[in-house]
Amino acid sequence: MVVGDVTTAVNTIILGGGPGGYVATIRAAQLGQVITLVNAGPLGGTCLNSGCIPLKALGAASRRFRQLSDESNAQMGLHTGPVSLDWDQLQSWKKSVVERLSGGVAKLLAGRKIDIVSGPGWFMNGKEMRVEGEYGSHRFTFDNCIIASGGVAVALPELPFGEGVLTASQALALTTLPAEVNIIGQDYIALELASLLQSFGSNVTLLSPGEQLLPQVDPAALRLVQAGLRKRGVQVVTGAHSFRLDGEGQLSYQAGPNARHQKGLVVVSNGVQPNTANLNLKAAGLDNLTVNARQQTNLAHILAVGDCTGQTPLATTAIKQAKIAAATLAGQKVAYGPQALPMVVFTTPELAYVGLSAQAAREAGYEIVTGRFPLAANGRALTLGEENGVALSVAEAGSGLLLGLTLVGPGAGELIMEAALAIEMGATLTDLTEILHPHPGLAEITLESLEQSLGQAIHVL
Amino acid sequence: MFEFKLPDVGEGMHEAEILRWLIAPGDRVKVDQPMLEIQTDKAVVEIPAPVAGIVADIPAPVGQIAHVGDVLVRFDTETARPASSVTKPEAASAVANAPVATVTSSENGLTTPKPGAVRAAPAVRKRAVELDIDLNQVRPSSPDGRILLTDLEAFVAARTSSGTKDTGSNGATKSNGYASTGNKSNTNSTHSLADHGEVGALIESVSPAPTPASIITNSNGTTGSSMGGEERKALAGLRRRIAERMELSWRTIPHAASFTEVDATELVALRSKLQASLEKSGLKMTYLPLVVKAVVQVLKQHPIFNASLDDQTREIIYKSYYHIGLATATPDGLLVPVVREADKRSLLDLANEVNRLGDGGRKRTLKPNELSGSTFTISNVGSFGGSYGVAVINPPEAAILAVGKASEQAVVRDGQVVIRNMLPLSLSFDHRLIDGAQAGAFLNSLKELLVNPSLLLLEAI
Repeated sequence: MVVGDVTTAVNTIILGGGPGGYVATIRAAQLGQVITLVNAGPLGGTCLNSGCIPLKALGAASRRFRQLSDESNAQMGLHTGPVSLDWDQLQSWKKSVVERLSGGVAKLLAGRKIDIVSGPGWFMNGKEMRVEGEYGSHRFTFDNCIIASGGVAVALPELPFGEGVLTASQALALTTLPAEVNIIGQDYIALELASLLQSFGSNVTLLSPGEQLLPQVDPAALRLVQAGLRKRGVQVVTGAHSFRLDGEGQLSYQAGPNARHQKGLVVVSNGVQPNTANLNLKAAGLDNLTVNARQQTNLAHILAVGDCTGQTPLATTAIKQAKIAAATLAGQKVAYGPQALPMVVFTTPELAYVGLSAQAAREAGYEIVTGRFPLAANGRALTLGEENGVALSVAEAGSGLLLGLTLVGPGAGELIMEAALAIEMGATLTDLTEILHPHPGLAEITLESLEQSLGQAIHVL
Repeated sequence: MFEFKLPDVGEGMHEAEILRWLIAPGDRVKVDQPMLEIQTDKAVVEIPAPVAGIVADIPAPVGQIAHVGDVLVRFDTETARPASSVTKPEAASAVANAPVATVTSSENGLTTPKPGAVRAAPAVRKRAVELDIDLNQVRPSSPDGRILLTDLEAFVAARTSSGTKDTGSNGATKSNGYASTGNKSNTNSTHSLADHGEVGALIESVSPAPTPASIITNSNGTTGSSMGGEERKALAGLRRRIAERMELSWRTIPHAASFTEVDATELVALRSKLQASLEKSGLKMTYLPLVVKAVVQVLKQHPIFNASLDDQTREIIYKSYYHIGLATATPDGLLVPVVREADKRSLLDLANEVNRLGDGGRKRTLKPNELSGSTFTISNVGSFGGSYGVAVINPPEAAILAVGKASEQAVVRDGQVVIRNMLPLSLSFDHRLIDGAQAGAFLNSLKELLVNPSLLLLEAI
């Protein structure tokens, strides 16, 4: 018994204050539940504090930085003086963005009078949780619990995180811009990090363990993204393996028949595993946080959302799962069942995709028609001075049911939502091509790609 | 981790034999690299690797009969670690005494939802979850197959008006977790999603793969409780193949038929005698081997019945080999296994082969060469109590014999009414090749042998 240990009976505990946890909290409160939010670390979780938001903030700044000295400026008659980077100022601007968002979450929770208990929590049994708080240890008995404890970066066994080997999150918080960086990974995080560090002036080598970066992406779209990385100066090596870091900070690895060596900082983006090691799940009677479509674990009163479930580690899905979990707790009959997962990769050019690629659609047994429209044939793109991109569409032959869309180009991440909506609604090529698209507008590349698959694109031969 | 499951590679295939693995655990594979040969009842199919990665394990060894949906091979795609590093990330990060959840996630472990499985807007799908309705059972009113909220409401209305009629069998027959109890006061909701065991089914009903199997499990439609008492199902798999063959036959072959009745009293006696003496060996002697034996002898006397018409060259092909097809009812539909070189087989051998093929046909374990190449087909309609009927010729054959069920009849012999075992025979023949008189002669020859089966034995055994 810890001195001062008091047991508090609460209704529902939500464990974790990231996008899964705080969204579940707010939605549950909206549905009339009384919530106690147990959260270690700053509100907003990985996404807001050390993941997506910092990554996007630095990414956006890096693009702007690069554009300032882009040769296309001169074509437009724009001439800039020498451009310089103040890394410290950049980091503090990033920090201000993060703090504003995290503060926003705190205000939202306070506005709903949510009890927040700060500190790591773990299970004592299926009905009790201990929280090691700032002001001592608390014990709670709960009726229900939603676990949203997030994920942690998975290390490469041969390159444990530590000195000289950073997680992507750590790389985003570097106090100085590294001269040489080796990024090991093939996911969107690795690509975005490579793109932004190179744009700021680092010498980046992207080492992909697989033969292909972003294995789910249509190869034709990926080629444009990869060309964009190369144009920026990122060296891309695929099929790299057998990494080793020697005492002098030299990274050696195998790629094809060659053994290679490289100086520089090492960053590993090797996916995420559920952050459950310290939750003492066994005591609660849980082996893991595998959930059903109502987000329940094998104990109906303990639910889980987001990265800790071992499903797709994206805030996008965690936020939806959080709403499902809250509704389940409120006694509603709900199920997590989106038909389309929009994915965005903020490289230059930007990449976004939703639904099935042509290859995935064929593998799923669909007979398909595909459409392709190059960004260079779009009027709006040329007025933006951008012509590097494409829209690739996939629809079921016959019915015309839209199955997938891949976009490369400016604003791809926002433009993709037209297709996400279409897939969720079960829309056909005809449905979409009947819709007015603003002219001149980037959304027209989606329209013309769909029309092209019908043999009716206007601006290509 | 990517699991590759046996896909439905076509035409009613339910299972396939693992013929040859072209990869081994630890191998690094590329997308589309040939990895496996399987044999279906129709053909040998080469399957390419669906992803790039490292082969983790191969649960389906050579020689195994795998069913659609069985996991054949697992790939390590998430980290694409070199084969040498076997340390799992969770082991590396495991904190002593703390439970560790299984690692299943990573960027590449994204579970891409499959669009278009049920064409309904998200709001409609949400409502279906609330109402415990499998949207696969709801008939869309719009011609493009999209289920509207009004369709769902109509379905509910129909279900409510049909009352609790089908509640009795629900638990046993509804396999998709969205079974309709039609009983809203059922507080002990056994079909609620609370049951973890139903999760897989739930997810499947949100986005089911359009396989024949999933159509079959939706048993509700045929009970008349679905709207309007009709339901549309795709003509798929073996059924489609049968339909195509029947269409081909009926379209190209002018069918004519001739019927006769054979006094099978001695045949019955002979069969009983043979069966008794074979009892110890465990061999089952049915009428069919005796009929095959007789038919082969008659085919030799009437070669046109063992011939076929070459539609291209307009030549008649007379065959000096006798491969007898045996129309066999299987749970999936009609199959025709073939007794090869029936003329060269002893009665015992024939009996063995007929039993083996019948068994293999029902279990769908026969190889393609055991299901093709017949020169004449016998349909044992008597096995399900049939008597006479016009069987459809199995193209490109010239005729087909339907053998009915032998039964005791009052017949006149020498002016006396006596009880004899009568066997109905129906012969359908291609009237392009065969005239009615020839058909009569064929049946008479056959009759002679079957009435005096001892004649069979002159040449038999």
